[in-house]
Amino acid sequence: MAEVLARRSSRGIALCLGALFLVAACGGGGGNSGGGGASSTDVTVWTAWGGAELKAFKDVLAPFESSSGIKVHITTNRDSTNQIANGIAAGTDLPDIAPGPTDPVQVADWVSKGALKPIETALGDQFSAYISNTYPALTTAPGGSDDPYIGIIGGKHYEMMVKTQVKGLLWYNKKVYTGAAPKSFDDLLAINPSQYGAQKLFCAGFESGAASGWPASDQIDNIIMRQSGETVYTSWIQGKQKFSSPEIKLGYQTFLKEVSAANVYGGSNTALSTNFGKAGDPLFKSPAGCLFLEQATFITSFFQQDFPSLNLKAGTDFDFFAHPSMGNSQYDGNVNGFYDNFAMYNNTPAARKLMQYMATKDAQQIWVNDGGTLGAIKTLNYTDPVFKNAASVAGSAKNLLVTAGDFMPSDMQKAFWQSLLNVTNNPSSLNSELAHLDQVQAAAYQKS
Amino acid sequence: MGGIDLGQVTTALIAIIAVPLVLLGYIILGEQVIERLPDRIQEWIRPYFWALPAIGFATVFMVYPLLRTVVISFRNNADTDWIGLANYQYFFTFPDTLTSLRNSLLWLVFYTFFAVFLGLIIAILVDRVKYESLAKIAIFLPVPISAVAASIIWKFMFDYQPPGTTQTGTLNAAIGLVGHDPVAWLVNATTNNAALIFVGVWTAVGFCMVIISASLKAISSEVLEAARIDGANEFQIVRLVITPLLWPTITVVGTTMLINALKTFDIVYVMTNGAYNTDVIATQMFTQLQHNHLSRAAAVGVVLFVAIIPLLVVNVRRFQQQEEQR
Repeated sequence: MAEVLARRSSRGIALCLGALFLVAACGGGGGNSGGGGASSTDVTVWTAWGGAELKAFKDVLAPFESSSGIKVHITTNRDSTNQIANGIAAGTDLPDIAPGPTDPVQVADWVSKGALKPIETALGDQFSAYISNTYPALTTAPGGSDDPYIGIIGGKHYEMMVKTQVKGLLWYNKKVYTGAAPKSFDDLLAINPSQYGAQKLFCAGFESGAASGWPASDQIDNIIMRQSGETVYTSWIQGKQKFSSPEIKLGYQTFLKEVSAANVYGGSNTALSTNFGKAGDPLFKSPAGCLFLEQATFITSFFQQDFPSLNLKAGTDFDFFAHPSMGNSQYDGNVNGFYDNFAMYNNTPAARKLMQYMATKDAQQIWVNDGGTLGAIKTLNYTDPVFKNAASVAGSAKNLLVTAGDFMPSDMQKAFWQSLLNVTNNPSSLNSELAHLDQVQAAAYQKS
Repeated sequence: MGGIDLGQVTTALIAIIAVPLVLLGYIILGEQVIERLPDRIQEWIRPYFWALPAIGFATVFMVYPLLRTVVISFRNNADTDWIGLANYQYFFTFPDTLTSLRNSLLWLVFYTFFAVFLGLIIAILVDRVKYESLAKIAIFLPVPISAVAASIIWKFMFDYQPPGTTQTGTLNAAIGLVGHDPVAWLVNATTNNAALIFVGVWTAVGFCMVIISASLKAISSEVLEAARIDGANEFQIVRLVITPLLWPTITVVGTTMLINALKTFDIVYVMTNGAYNTDVIATQMFTQLQHNHLSRAAAVGVVLFVAIIPLLVVNVRRFQQQEEQR
């Protein structure tokens, strides 16, 4: 009896093993798509875009493919940076064109290994037109030095900008707030919401699942970059500026004014419990819960989704003004934003042609016609008043500064985001929170 | 999204066909060799032969990674040098990891206690009602729900709206009925850990109940009758007869819950991601991994593993005892 059982169970083990083998083999496959020789007829492109963004990209590529006869092979790959890093380490095929890395250390590393080809090479005699057409903040390092955040290493460009977005915009309901855009942050705080029939000055919603806190970090980023300047802001991202330093502490204190019980709709518990997508809802309630919501351009679709019956129209029902000055006029040109770039990993004739095409006004016009984004070129035409307005904000920017948390080590980012939640919850914990952040900073940026 | 990669399909097909063939070949050919051996050796060698692939897999995918993890936890992140106990020192002195350690302890005690205790009580109660299966189904329903879905459901239950507005969260609507201001359950430091543990208990009680209930059915009604004839009331029967008889089952369920408590990740990750001091050991390990602090993550993993070993030992012993009883 026992023997039969033993045999049965060993057969069972064999079966299980077969299944395991299968799972392992299926999981092990994949990888290794893209690549190819120095083709003049085919080009491989990796992008993180899907859905509407991917459709827009395909619309951009259609005229190129039909006029040049070059076939563009697109792969949507949301993990492209890691896979390219592995490809570089292993010496395997890389896509011809893919986004450059966002981590400044990685940019420099890939340049030194020759994986990234200069945009100067890709664009050839079109390069100077690219520089003069594109928003200066995207192509010119502050002070003319290198700036790995926009892909400039050793005086050469390695990331070609194709799209951009601006953040730190203050949205309002045009039927409620009828005043002018405040010149300074103090003017903004001085506005009396009850004069316009609103309960509070600001709305806020910091909840975002596992990423809760990022909307708050956008707010403090926009304060610090205009209050203490780009140098402090950048060295803070790089872990060279302590959180307890006077500049960053001042940023936190200013942020706390935006979320104080007197200024934020529903008090801190509401700001902390409300999802960022719903944060703007009180703008359109009657009576209005608040006058302003600080958020990037993407928020308009949330307004329209949440109030389908109001049929909200950008420009007539709601609008925004740019983040007001923090009182230091030399830093007023600092704008918080992000960008989409392409970098060239294989210097092939087809890849060069595609890069050259994507840098043209015609190509980028198709991009913005599909909506939802700004192009990188200054002189595009926008039918959507929101993007028209946002384009002027981008055009006035001296420096386009990236969102701090996104460029910090991820444990630093998490601690940074959560510290903003904690001080909103309990403002008296500010000093201990900053001391704790210093501790995390020291540990997070360690090399080993 | 995107086309089907033919290379991947081929790989999958090869795996589906070739791997079972290889295994089958191993078994058939091996059996032919074994059959030619003397009977005594056959008896001895066959189980090892059949188990060898499994042992191989377990070694490659479990034993080796385990040993590697222990080794890495004593090395620097680039795996180039020994750094002694630095990673462990970090774990046991850094405020964030200490908070996660405290919270895991809270989970360990309260999650386990309430899941098992409520499971036991409910199992005993439903045993005495007519609509037992209906009640059991209701309690068991949360068990098959994935922890992520359960967390999202409870996020809605805990939802907070400004005082004076309509409360969309069920809990705040309920306490609003008795005139209490809404509570930001997941934000408030005095309620958030309890709220998370509550969700954990909600998903686990059904499991505990079903297991305990099954072994409750195995208690002979004659034993209970004898107790009643001896003059015991129902409370005494539960306390002095049923509970001791269920004790082996309660231990097994309890240790399983203890292990679950230590492994808790998804509920915390989805509902707060450790904000407002709700981190637990597993989310802490994940954070370290996310930012490539591989050796620190390994140290956290080793601590977690060492903490679980005694529970595993107890559990395995229990199973062995039960096997022997049969």
